Amino acid sequence: MRYALRRLPVLVVTLWAAITLNFVLPRMMPGTPADAALGKIAGQGPVTASQRRAIEVMLGVPHGSLLSQYWQYLKAIAEGNFGISYTYFPEPVSKVIGAALPWTLALVGTSTVLAFTTGALLGVLAAWRRGSRLDSVATVGCTFMTAFPYFWTALLLLYALGFVLGWFPIRGGYSSSVSPGWDWTFAASALRHSVLPAFTILISGLGGWLLGMRNNMMGVLGEDYVTFAEANGLPARTVALRYAARNAVLPSATAFGMALGMVVGGSLLTEVVFGYPGIGYLLYNAVVNEDYPLMQALFLVITVSVLLANFVVDLLYGFLDPRVRR
Amino acid sequence: MAGTPGELGAAGGRRGDGVGGSAPGGSGAPGVGAPGTDGTSSGSGGRDGAVADPQPAAPVVEGEPGGHPQRTQQPLLFASGLDVVYEPAGAPVVHAVRGVDLSIDPGEMVGLVGESGCGKSTLGYALTRLLRPPARITAGRVVFDGRDVTALDQGRLRTMRHRGFAVVLQSGMNALNPVRTIDGHFADVLRTHRRVRGAAARQVAEELLGHVELAPTVLDRFPHELSGGMRQRVVIALALALQPKLVVFDEPTTALDVLVQRAVMDTIARLQAEVGFSALVISHDLGLVLGTADRAWVMYAGRIVERRESAALAGAPLHPYSAALLACHGDPTADNVQLGGIPGSPPDLSVPPQGCSFAPRCWMKEPVCRNDPPERVIGTGTVACHLAPRKLVVPRALEATVLASTAGGMGVGQNSTDGTATYDGRAALSAGPGPGASDGPALSPGAAAAPDGAAWAVRRRRSLERVEPEALVLQDVVKQFRTARRTGGRAGGRADGAWPGVGRARSSTVRAVDGVSLSLEPGHAVGLVGASGSGKTTLGRMMAGMDRPSSGTIRLGGLRVETMRSRDLPRYWQRVQMVFQDPYAGLNPVHTVGYAIGRALRNHQRLRDDRLRSELHRLLEVVGLTPSGQFSAKLPHQLSGGQRQRVVIARALAAKPQVLVADEPVSMLDVSLRAGILRLLDELRRDTGVSLLYITHDLLSARLVTDHLLVLQKGRVVESGPTASVLRSPSHSYTKQLIEAIPVVA
Amino acid sequence: MWRTGRKLVGTLWADRKARAGASILALFVLVAVLAPVLSPYSPTATSFARSAPASWSHPLGTTGSGQDALSQLLFGTRVSLLVGFGAGLAATSLAMLVGVVAGYVRGPLEVVLGFLTNLFLVIPGVPLMIVLAAYLPSRGVGTVLVVVSVTGWAWGARVLRAQTTTLASREFVAAARMAGEGTWRIVWHEIVPNMVSLLAASFFAASTAAVLAEAALEFLGLGNPATISWGTMLFWAENSNALLTGQWALLVAPGLCIALLASAMSLVNFGIDAIGNPKLRER
Repeated sequence: MRYALRRLPVLVVTLWAAITLNFVLPRMMPGTPADAALGKIAGQGPVTASQRRAIEVMLGVPHGSLLSQYWQYLKAIAEGNFGISYTYFPEPVSKVIGAALPWTLALVGTSTVLAFTTGALLGVLAAWRRGSRLDSVATVGCTFMTAFPYFWTALLLLYALGFVLGWFPIRGGYSSSVSPGWDWTFAASALRHSVLPAFTILISGLGGWLLGMRNNMMGVLGEDYVTFAEANGLPARTVALRYAARNAVLPSATAFGMALGMVVGGSLLTEVVFGYPGIGYLLYNAVVNEDYPLMQALFLVITVSVLLANFVVDLLYGFLDPRVRR
Repeated sequence: MAGTPGELGAAGGRRGDGVGGSAPGGSGAPGVGAPGTDGTSSGSGGRDGAVADPQPAAPVVEGEPGGHPQRTQQPLLFASGLDVVYEPAGAPVVHAVRGVDLSIDPGEMVGLVGESGCGKSTLGYALTRLLRPPARITAGRVVFDGRDVTALDQGRLRTMRHRGFAVVLQSGMNALNPVRTIDGHFADVLRTHRRVRGAAARQVAEELLGHVELAPTVLDRFPHELSGGMRQRVVIALALALQPKLVVFDEPTTALDVLVQRAVMDTIARLQAEVGFSALVISHDLGLVLGTADRAWVMYAGRIVERRESAALAGAPLHPYSAALLACHGDPTADNVQLGGIPGSPPDLSVPPQGCSFAPRCWMKEPVCRNDPPERVIGTGTVACHLAPRKLVVPRALEATVLASTAGGMGVGQNSTDGTATYDGRAALSAGPGPGASDGPALSPGAAAAPDGAAWAVRRRRSLERVEPEALVLQDVVKQFRTARRTGGRAGGRADGAWPGVGRARSSTVRAVDGVSLSLEPGHAVGLVGASGSGKTTLGRMMAGMDRPSSGTIRLGGLRVETMRSRDLPRYWQRVQMVFQDPYAGLNPVHTVGYAIGRALRNHQRLRDDRLRSELHRLLEVVGLTPSGQFSAKLPHQLSGGQRQRVVIARALAAKPQVLVADEPVSMLDVSLRAGILRLLDELRRDTGVSLLYITHDLLSARLVTDHLLVLQKGRVVESGPTASVLRSPSHSYTKQLIEAIPVVA
Repeated sequence: MWRTGRKLVGTLWADRKARAGASILALFVLVAVLAPVLSPYSPTATSFARSAPASWSHPLGTTGSGQDALSQLLFGTRVSLLVGFGAGLAATSLAMLVGVVAGYVRGPLEVVLGFLTNLFLVIPGVPLMIVLAAYLPSRGVGTVLVVVSVTGWAWGARVLRAQTTTLASREFVAAARMAGEGTWRIVWHEIVPNMVSLLAASFFAASTAAVLAEAALEFLGLGNPATISWGTMLFWAENSNALLTGQWALLVAPGLCIALLASAMSLVNFGIDAIGNPKLRER
């Protein structure tokens, strides 16, 4: 637990930096995003004074000193008051994001964990049987797979499995004929709709983990403790998993935390292609419609989520490696 | 002292026990027949006849047929015609082991010695089937307990490791899985081989740890929480868990501290006697091997060139290489200490040998050495040398590289200004037997060459031109470190064996150096000895201006290290320079020798162009790297370890320093190269008047190059005085411990 | 530095994967340079039938606004290579500056730079890129290049920083200090020449990421849709529902080119990896 507590300040400072970056960005940009946003929203309908105030606090209209603006901004964030959305007028931004977040968490979370575990396992296997057919097919195949842009893989899958073969729905998070709720028809529909996006994230991410894990394994296999385990006549499985892979996974775990940002980015693009009702598609819509309040809040939510996920991975690392505990 | 007669006697009894214990296993292999050494020695005998020996040597004492005439029992392990090659991608094939025959009897302890790169570890890996690509056995067989190990598949091999052979790897430091507790390690082995689990397994593990003098609490630790010595003990206990008949120890103590080394070796010897396994101890340290093993094999360039009973080898080696290796060891407490070196370096094993591989470095070589030497049986041993068993006179040429110490008794009782002893030492070196000094360079062009008289004179004049040299004075120097370390403590930081210290208290600060005062007078050589963690390196770094003391003063004339600003340090470094420990890390791999030394000349002496070049060449010649033109264009990877260290010394000299701080300058070098470097340091001091701070754990070399000695323990000086008297009549128990830890040859 | 560079190239060429990657890369460069010669038509000419299927005169068909897709593909190589290499170079330079300084100096600067690196490492790049691009009014290739560079340097900085710290603790650096060398000279002449392969690796890694990021930005329509690039080709193809109308070549061809270019860079990097870590070398 001491380990977790020691990590906490880093998390707090990083969170602060991310929040501040979000404050600085729109204020640094040419023009006044707040005015632009207000102007657009005004075209949709009446804007109350408090709504106007919220948007100004978030995106910056020079009322008072920068310091007091910053204070207002921090207060607004603490209250979760991000202003109102233009695209989904007159919904407040927080509500729009709240509706989209579960979709993304379920889709990206599951498929990323799945990609990491299968990739790592295959990487162990490829390294253990280095030089075999499996090894060369896996490494070459993965080199190409990781080079495919997420959105392109998504497009191809959509075309082949969705459009041509018709196995899976090609758009959305659930069928328009069912209404969201905790029932089987909805769950089945949501599951069917998530297969293609999940599969995209899986095969796009898997290659990187496989290659990384294979590289780590190759390094670890040369270590004395692996040779010694072999010299002690331990079963090949024990040597491969408990001695080699167990250590090879450590750098991969570190990389997992750091690559999360990239994975999330890729997943966002996947959502866009499939019109999946998650954060990514929302961000895309916000950008296309120049819905700055929504965009800014989304960026904040994404960044904070990734930071928190990173923190969790960091804590898990403490369990994986006894040398960093205490 | 090791290797007492009593212990040898015990070894005899031990062998008997071993036979009794493993006789059933041995008799299970009726088809094995006579060991392979038999056939080869008769075969080589034939070759021997074909070679026209110009002057028939003393009659070869033919033993009974077979490699080990007096042994009639079945060997536990034997190998015949074993060849191992490395076939790395894009590099020439290296023939690491060539046609090796050997056999190990049940219950005996055999030592395998040789310099690095001679193939000894490869041989150990080949015998235990641990070779990995690109290494491969290309010929020969290894028969263990009646089964050809080279033909076994992995599954069979695995089951065979139980009650078969175990391995203790080079520097057990990394042999333990860092993320697994010690308990986990034992559980894996015991479950696999003995079908013991849970509490029962833990009990067995505790018992095994008891054998290696470790407390049961160690089981709950992770490897990083243990000291180096403890880790190596755990590794030994794990090997014992296999209940092996043979344990191969590959450099079992190399990375350990001197005091710990001794304790671990004692444990190994005791266990071998108690448990009765056979042991093959692979080491570069002849002293260690001769002190513990019953028999010793000397390996050179992939072949075993001599195999003898340890005592016989120590007393009268038959192969010139063995004799030369032996001359690299000595007793630092003796009246007259001498150190030999072997010029040149081991041959490139990717080139097929032309005749005897040692011939290029051999001072006795004759035309017949152009032929492959036969392995002759002489007495109870064998030797692969054309000239054997000619009496090996310790060669005069080697005597030339022997360093005279500050003549034994003379130094005793004198204080640090033992000018006479120093003078005598110099006289012995330069005015000594003429053939000695001049033979050196003839034998080894460029490697261990002594500077000629002219160069000496030049240097002496230069040193006279300098400002009046001043003493480097330390007063109450303290260095504290905050322990930000997560590990339980530095490996090998303490004498091992005090096992309850596992869960030691972690203090927030550590005093690495704790109130040291000393004065290094111009032209003097002070030795700083101690076990690792004694603070000697920290002290050396502060004296070299690389670290600042936490308190106390370090002064050289008007320069004060403790208050000096970073940008003034170069001025200090014009007068104090450092020779680093690791010749491989000390030179930047991307720069040529000329660049490295040239930059120092440029910065410190403000030399340019022609004057820089001529000074560069002069320096290279001073350190014996001739022809200097050739060496200045070389990159570090094109040089041997000894040559690199000479470059490091030349770079230090480029500043024309008054003080040289040498931190273990020879500990990473093969023993055969040490004498050359030590001699160079000694000559530099005598010729240029540079004073020397020599940091080491090796008392022998300290005896040879220093006239005053400080013994450091836990950052404090516990004893000091003239080197010879401190070593010959130590008063502090720690000094005595250090002296006792030296393996004694014979 | 020159010597180690040359050695690096030699060792790279000996590696099968790296050789394949370098060959593909060379081919792309050649295509980019010779695009005007190789292209059958001007990439901007809109004089052809719209959304025509593949034919002899238009091997990849035409776009929704009547341009020859093959010509666009050939010219598009230029933008991808420019952004890839340009952003790769910019990101690596930034990474080297931050990484080497943070790795060598002690004190507050080290802490600040280290923190910045870690921050940019965990901040998700694509959303940041999207937000940056959305705020910026001008959306030319230059903007894309800057945005991609700013979001792509952190990984390299981290690796280079670790390597610098390791090298700085080596004895030859201490020896260089004692030989009277200044800090600047130690950094540039003692440390950096030992990181050539690492620098090359981060360059190719950053370039790969830049190629993919540029395509993503253009695909989302956050670049200038009038530019001729693989990313905009995908953008227009998606906008005109090329897949649904059976014009799959409009999507497949630029996508494959992106993937091929990125793989080629990764392949070169495999070779570089193997140099730094001999255990990975092919036998």
